[in-house]
Amino acid sequence: MTPLCLKRAPAANPETTGRAARTQAALVLLLAMGLGAMTVSSSGLLPHHASGEVRVTAPGLHFLTGKSLSRLHDGATVPFDFQLIIASGSKNNVVARALERFIISYDVWEEKFSVVRVRDFHKSGMRLSANGVESWCLDNIFVQAASLPAGQQLWARLEIRAVESRETLPTDSGINLATLIEIFSRPSRPQQERWSLESAPFELASLKP
Amino acid sequence: MKLVLIPALAALTLLGQSQNLIPAPDSGEQDHASDLNVNSRYTIESINFADQRQYKLSTSALEDIRRLIGAKVNTEALDRLSQRIRAELRAHEVTFKLTRGQKPEAVRVLIQVDQAAGVVDASVAKLFYNSQQGFTGVGEVTATLGSNALTFRMLRDSDTLIERYSGIQARYDRLSLADGRIRLGFEFDAYQDQYDPSTLAALDGASRPSSLGAGAYGSRLSYQPSATFVLAAPLTLTVGLDFEQLGNLPMAARPVSANAVINTLRYHQRWTGAGGNKQELDAGYSLRAATTLLGSGLAYTRHLAHAGYSYSRDAQSVEVTIVAGAIHGQAPLFERFAIGDSAMLLGWNKYVLDPVGGNRLAYASVKYGYHMMRVFYDTGSVWDQGKPAQVKQSVGVGVSGGLGVFEKGTFLLALAFPLQQGSVTPVVIAGMNF
Repeated sequence: MTPLCLKRAPAANPETTGRAARTQAALVLLLAMGLGAMTVSSSGLLPHHASGEVRVTAPGLHFLTGKSLSRLHDGATVPFDFQLIIASGSKNNVVARALERFIISYDVWEEKFSVVRVRDFHKSGMRLSANGVESWCLDNIFVQAASLPAGQQLWARLEIRAVESRETLPTDSGINLATLIEIFSRPSRPQQERWSLESAPFELASLKP
Repeated sequence: MKLVLIPALAALTLLGQSQNLIPAPDSGEQDHASDLNVNSRYTIESINFADQRQYKLSTSALEDIRRLIGAKVNTEALDRLSQRIRAELRAHEVTFKLTRGQKPEAVRVLIQVDQAAGVVDASVAKLFYNSQQGFTGVGEVTATLGSNALTFRMLRDSDTLIERYSGIQARYDRLSLADGRIRLGFEFDAYQDQYDPSTLAALDGASRPSSLGAGAYGSRLSYQPSATFVLAAPLTLTVGLDFEQLGNLPMAARPVSANAVINTLRYHQRWTGAGGNKQELDAGYSLRAATTLLGSGLAYTRHLAHAGYSYSRDAQSVEVTIVAGAIHGQAPLFERFAIGDSAMLLGWNKYVLDPVGGNRLAYASVKYGYHMMRVFYDTGSVWDQGKPAQVKQSVGVGVSGGLGVFEKGTFLLALAFPLQQGSVTPVVIAGMNF
């Protein structure tokens, strides 16, 4: 199954590149100001490379908490939107991106979590613990290593947003790359639960499986 | 012929209990395969409001609830139901919660209503007319702010008690404490009372019962603090006090008080069985004990027990009701039992049966329904301890159903025959719910 990866096209004009970089920097600054509650860590995200795919792990990340966890315990489904970004040269120079929506629910009888990757319903995890479902989500979002420049310094950034119950959800079959890009291109709502982690700089060749 | 408009089928429009009614396993709303909720494999056992409060919903919303019960969990359908209830109640937010059911593979749905934004609802709760006894009607305004509700009613009731009373009720409810397991309330009532000539004649005559605690009072004030505890849903216990002042009594310089401790135990549950049958049990016991310890001028205890069971399948339904009561001591008129009204022993005139009521009550009823058709048989008696009970009977036939565009309403049109020797005068009963 091909992940939802985007490779950024190389800029042709240095002036355009500079303007775009400034715009991106401003957006990042605005986002950082607007997302005051966002959890940011520069060391909690660990990239791995295996089978031509780059995945991340985050031992300290727990997104099944708070309001979302409460909704899950109430028997509701809670979608989580994930964005994995790989930047090269600078943190704002995105060279690859993967987006996924995972729908998590909690079995009120078995007291276990289940998760489905919306892009392909057959990809699911059943009877998982909270930690297990968090790890499962990270295992199922990745970028193709072939899309990353070799020999350059890279950064990985992971963003997660819990979809609020009042948000209008695209139909399960209608969730697509454009929708997820649009979701992550706008600021999260003040009450929306979200998490963001960054990795330390790394090179593709130095990654371990 | 007399015409009586009664509040018919109130239970269908006042939703406060579980709604295990008609399952629809093959309902169009079921899209089990596409539901990504792991709980979609479980069957909905019941749907209740989490705060155990009574909410008035439209007939079609109730029908949605009925369809969901007995079917598999469908997140999208539950979300739609929540949004519908939110719109009807004008609530800030309505969500649902799943909890384990009584049986494996079954879950209960608890609907949580957040009315933090505050709503004001005005309605005519019931309205009926008796050509012999006059109008009975209740208009109410309820303001809800968060878990607090203020209700103000104006009413005139010539049906429920021996006395005909009109006045106001003002009530405050703290709807949800201890995670919805406790409700606190305080009610103030002020009534003016009138009496049927036959009642006044009986009070003045030699037949005045010795167990009567006071004469024909002209006004009544009531202060009622109470607390309701959800012991084990749907079993609830209400405890409280009722301070009643009876004023304008003939030959009485001061009002007479009837201050009582109130206890009410109630169980109300509905089940949906395999094959679509529906069962409902509503049972309760109430004790009102007026004691001098509360400064009461009258001392008595009043026991009232009732049980109603109904079974329905497809278009047919059977309902059995039993009510029994006893009063010990000297109770005032408003506590005494009366039948021959719009609820018990339909077709009879309560003033003919006993113009001052009795301190003993026994009543039973059987109803059969097929689609909109209804037939019923009532039997019962009120009498005073030490006197023989005269059992009366009545039968009736009628139709009932919703009002279509008036979704919150239902109607009942029935013809009741009091069974007695000599001439039998049928009584037409027409009722509406609001």
